[in-house]
Amino acid sequence: MTWLSNDLVERLRDVASRPELASDRYVILRPIGRGGMGSVYAARDEQLGREVAIKVSNAAAAADDLDQRLRQEARVLARLEHPGIVPVHDAGLLDDGRWFYVMKLVRGETLADHAASLEHEAARLVVFERVAETVAFAHAAGIVHRDLKPSNVMVGQFGEVLVLDWGVARVLARANRESGAGARGHDRHPDDPIDGTSGGTRMGTAGFMAPEQAHGDSSNAGPPADVYALGALLFWMWTGSAAPADLSDVSRSLGAVSPAPSKRLSAIIRKCLSHAPADRYASAAELMEDLARYRQGSSVSAHRETTIERAGRWLVRYQTFVWLVLAYLVMRVAFAFLR
Amino acid sequence: MTSAAPAAGGLRYPCRVIPFPATRRSVIERIRGADTEVRRTAFGDLAAGYWRPSYHYLRLHWRLTPEAAEDVVQAFFTVAFEKGYVERYDPSKAKFRTFLRTCLDRFVQNTQKAERAEKRGGGVDRLSLDFPGAEQALAELAASDLRDLDRFFRNEMIRALFERAVDDLRRTCEESGKTALFRVFERHDLAPSPDVSYATLARDLDLTVSQVTNYLHGARRRFRELALGHLQSLCGTDEEFRLEARELFGMEVDP
Repeated sequence: MTWLSNDLVERLRDVASRPELASDRYVILRPIGRGGMGSVYAARDEQLGREVAIKVSNAAAAADDLDQRLRQEARVLARLEHPGIVPVHDAGLLDDGRWFYVMKLVRGETLADHAASLEHEAARLVVFERVAETVAFAHAAGIVHRDLKPSNVMVGQFGEVLVLDWGVARVLARANRESGAGARGHDRHPDDPIDGTSGGTRMGTAGFMAPEQAHGDSSNAGPPADVYALGALLFWMWTGSAAPADLSDVSRSLGAVSPAPSKRLSAIIRKCLSHAPADRYASAAELMEDLARYRQGSSVSAHRETTIERAGRWLVRYQTFVWLVLAYLVMRVAFAFLR
Repeated sequence: MTSAAPAAGGLRYPCRVIPFPATRRSVIERIRGADTEVRRTAFGDLAAGYWRPSYHYLRLHWRLTPEAAEDVVQAFFTVAFEKGYVERYDPSKAKFRTFLRTCLDRFVQNTQKAERAEKRGGGVDRLSLDFPGAEQALAELAASDLRDLDRFFRNEMIRALFERAVDDLRRTCEESGKTALFRVFERHDLAPSPDVSYATLARDLDLTVSQVTNYLHGARRRFRELALGHLQSLCGTDEEFRLEARELFGMEVDP
């Protein structure tokens, strides 16, 4: 009987797990990661002489639900040309009939690993806004991600931010795209990928998925579901933990971290995490607008300010002008005394 | 050692080279069945897959001598078959291999108490098992981490599984006149150094690079099918097989 060393057992396991590509164009180099839907491998494109990433479905067979979702993901990605979305180069069938697609090999780390290096609010917001901008772009194209979380955000070597894993994304019917509603419509474009989910299907990740998704209503999850996940992402960036279901717990947790986010930023997070979709921002673009106002020092829609808060914010925002006026007044008083 | 013919259950890959054998029931279902021959074959599959992990486990964890470990292994599988140990398996409580290891632990304890190992081992039909080969392999296992016994047992099960799959691949290739296919696999995937290029292999074996690529794909696929076939015969339920296959090869199977 053959004796296999530990190294040989591992090697056999590795080579036997690799997908079998029908063409010689791509040579699988090593596994990179494995998710619920598919496995990703680093590969070499022999034709163009570059490294790429190949995603293969974990399906038991061609035409399996997972296989169809991978196909949908490839089509969604191909439709979304944006710096925050990994470009798809190629797609095809494995020897066994399952789908694979080829994409740019992204070198970097996930936000889950990168977050510790983001110490200041400004650095966190830069990364977050790039995520939100990408999601806003997808919403404008009628696509809802439905599984935003730290491990699905990649921060590249040069600071580029990419939103990954569009495998459970939902394509909205046109009427809903225009209204921003999450309800199902009937006029899907003939080229639209299939939704792939039906009522009662739960998709997403606990702590980051909207209540409507958690209750198994994934097929009706519209842009507000992504807004919830974006709020959960912001919450996580400050607290390091998934968002609690109760809004009062959200406030308590945000108040307990040091340094705590400002009242206005906390309000933005809370608005994103509202239980009812109608109470959240209607889309990522609307959230972006409020965040932009926050960064400019303007009032945000999520927070009703008291007069004192407004005055304080006004003083902070126009502090240069205030200091100049004060300096002028002090000088006038000084001159008056000197005369 | 004679191993039962591999039969993987119902993988739905439309495999173009080698068709997959028909679906078969889980090993527990077969052992619980009324047909004595089916029970005996199922037990043969179990013994073929688990005797060596059991032997190494007894040698390293229980620190039995080679002779004592051999006797216990022989007696355990015989008595387990006769007394229906395996039929008591409850999938809701543990994985099948954990259950089997627990049975083995109890068996050793009882045997040691009664000091009857030799007697039991001597009184039954002995299985044809390569104990000297298993003893030689112990040198590499001496450094194994025995703190996690379940992990150790599982790793040994996988090693034995792959060894049987490699042996079966060699045998079937020889029987079907496809020795070149196995030679490519042996030189590329079983060589101590993994860095041999396709071009070097093609030159050495008098093949084209394209042939090397195809043979290697074919051999790996066949190896995986054989390993999955054996794996199914070692799992207590279809669900356990599905989970083990996912963990082992990162793929979903449909038993």
